Amino acid sequence: MVQVNPGFIDQVGQAKTFNAAACMNCGVCSAVCPMGIELLPRKLFRYVLLGVEDKVRENSATIYSCLLCKMCEVNCPAGVHIAENVRTLRYYLYKK
Amino acid sequence: MSDRRIGVYICHCGGNISDYVNVETVRQAVANEPGVVVAKTAMFSCSDATQQEMIQDIREQNLDGLVVASCSPKLHLPTFREVARRAGLNPYRYTQVNIREQCSWTHTNDHAGATEKAVRLVRAGIARTNLTDPLQPIVIDTVPAVLVVGAGIAGLRAAVGLADLGLSVYLVEKSPNPGGRVGGLGAMYPHGKNGRQLIDRLVGEVRKRELVTLFTNAEMVAKSGTIGSFNVKIRVGGKAPGEISVDVGAIVVATGFDNYQPAAGEYGYGMDGVITLPEFKKLLDGTAGELEYNGRQVKDIVYIYCVGSRQQGGENPNKYCSRYCCNAAVHASLQVSEKSPRAHQFHLYRDVRTYGKYELMYNEAREKGAVFCAFGRDEPPGVASGPDGKLVVTVRDLLTYGEELAIPADLVVLVTGMVPAANSGLTELLKLPLGQDRFFNEIHPKLRPVETMVDGVFICGTCQGPKNSSESVASALAAVSQGASILKKGYVELEPLIAEVDPQACDLCGDCLNTCPYSAIEQDTAAIRINSAQCKGCGGCAPVCPKGAINLKGYTDSQVKSMIDALLKEI
Ligand SMILES: Cc1cc2nc3c(=O)[nH]c(=O)nc-3n(C[C@H](O)[C@H](O)[C@H](O)COP(=O)(O)OP(=O)(O)OC[C@H]3O[C@@H](n4cnc5c(N)ncnc54)[C@H](O)[C@@H]3O)c2cc1C
Ligand code: SF4
Ligand code: SF4
Repeated sequence: MVQVNPGFIDQVGQAKTFNAAACMNCGVCSAVCPMGIELLPRKLFRYVLLGVEDKVRENSATIYSCLLCKMCEVNCPAGVHIAENVRTLRYYLYKK
Repeated sequence: MSDRRIGVYICHCGGNISDYVNVETVRQAVANEPGVVVAKTAMFSCSDATQQEMIQDIREQNLDGLVVASCSPKLHLPTFREVARRAGLNPYRYTQVNIREQCSWTHTNDHAGATEKAVRLVRAGIARTNLTDPLQPIVIDTVPAVLVVGAGIAGLRAAVGLADLGLSVYLVEKSPNPGGRVGGLGAMYPHGKNGRQLIDRLVGEVRKRELVTLFTNAEMVAKSGTIGSFNVKIRVGGKAPGEISVDVGAIVVATGFDNYQPAAGEYGYGMDGVITLPEFKKLLDGTAGELEYNGRQVKDIVYIYCVGSRQQGGENPNKYCSRYCCNAAVHASLQVSEKSPRAHQFHLYRDVRTYGKYELMYNEAREKGAVFCAFGRDEPPGVASGPDGKLVVTVRDLLTYGEELAIPADLVVLVTGMVPAANSGLTELLKLPLGQDRFFNEIHPKLRPVETMVDGVFICGTCQGPKNSSESVASALAAVSQGASILKKGYVELEPLIAEVDPQACDLCGDCLNTCPYSAIEQDTAAIRINSAQCKGCGGCAPVCPKGAINLKGYTDSQVKSMIDALLKEI
């Protein structure tokens, strides 16, 4: 059982630079990731949208292993600004 | 031997029939049947050229009977009756034999069997035709007035439409005010217009039309007569109670739906903070600023979809989808985003059915931050009370990789569906059939969506099945065209293929009286009579008569016996 914490969404969302509402969970991003990161960004975004803070914190090392190469971003059919979102999350994790 | 002169045409239907049935063999096998003077095959019997040829044969050969062995009578019975009529032959001396659906399409792997069956069916058709009498359709003059039952958005719109076609309308509403459910709504999807105002405008249109008489606090209490000419009694309550009798040619039923009422404990219903969608909508429409419930600010909202719809088990499950609720819940979510921009909204759904353009609302809701989670049909969410007076909803979210989530909530909205309105009195009065979903049943959902088995009685709006308001109005307008198409002509023609009592043979025992599902059999001291406008020709009464005094015109005992003999004859 994972706890949804709506306050977490607000904190991340406050930056206004995180926006994954358009993500439809298709998985193209995970498929093209040169690092083969399974969590990124598809699953991660879902956890952030829901406000599952624990899962995001548990995976901070993974979030930092992203190359920000934007391979996913150019392939995302929903036009999600993936790299920007990842950067926002790093900033949030660092601040805490 | 027969002194009849019958023409028989066996159709190839392109290859639909002749690829499996040897039509020439059939022709030869029936060419010498009693009464047959013309026996031909045709590539397409329904083509203009063949129709012309039939007319010529009927005239030149003086035919007094016609048989076409082709497709289903549903498709072409009217076509070939018309051919007979044009040639001066009584249309009821025509018999259609279906050797496509019943032979070629059914026995694709047995050509010989299909051919033999076709021979037998055509012989039976010829035998019946030998005993046909000329019949005339029953003509009934129609009253240019319509009774509309229920003044929700469907009934109101139907009344306006009928009046605009020049028909008088009696609009009967049970409650003190017209408008139905839409009259109680604020902002509506997809246009954002106010429901109350929409209804006020529509009622204004109704009042402008002198042809419409609106009765509120009123109910229909008795009905007699048949299509084209009903007599209806309306009981009016309120300040000046009384009973009014009116004559109408058709009846349009627009009695609407009820909201599904969850049982106590169903998804936590009954707990503080668990409410239904209509209750939530009322709260929303009545709130100007930030959303509050029982004096508390509402920050986290969880919606649970399909409550009371698409049920799997239990007693009399509502298996149907209620259509309006996904859209109404998503629309409510957008209203929340406007009033309380910081509220968090979680939608727990089974399938999002924001069909057509309503998909745009769904996208907008997601962009505004609403999160959608899918639950499996066998794992409905659970609702329990949590810390700090909040509720906690648990759900296994299929979109989060089957993770079980615990979501805190100030409000849990049960997205309840539509159920048929309790209207047993009306159902009984009009003898309206109910579908499996227990809404009023149409004849065919796509081809005849507002007609019922009871001639002259139409259904529209949500009494027929779940619909949103624009779909209800569309079906109301369909009922307007159907009703008006009968009444504007001034008369209706009914099939004369109905029961007939031989007064010589009848000894007034009355055994037949209760066999008729349409109450078409009447008895007085002198005779048993069949009400020709009410009889549907189902034949239910004929075999019950101990004296054999009832015959079904077009399917008399002697005709049926001759058909059986022909079917069993050696090939
Ligand atoms: C919470 C909620 C929100 C909705 N939001 C929207 C929306 O935003 N947009 C939208 O398009 N649709 C919406 N709908 C759907 C909409 O309410 C229906 O489509 C519409 O009300 C159907 O109209 P109707 O005339 O068929 O039935 P009703 O509105 O139910 O009207 C039936 C009328 O018949 C009367 N009646 C019943 N029995 C008898 C009788 N025996 N004799 C005489 N009168 C009788 C009733 O009193 C009533 O006035 C919503 C529904 C709900 C529950
Ligand atoms: S490719 Fe885009 S839409 Fe698809 S899962 Fe990744 S972020 Fe979401
Ligand atoms: S419209 Fe949506 S909520 Fe309503 S029954 Fe259908 S799927 Fe369920």
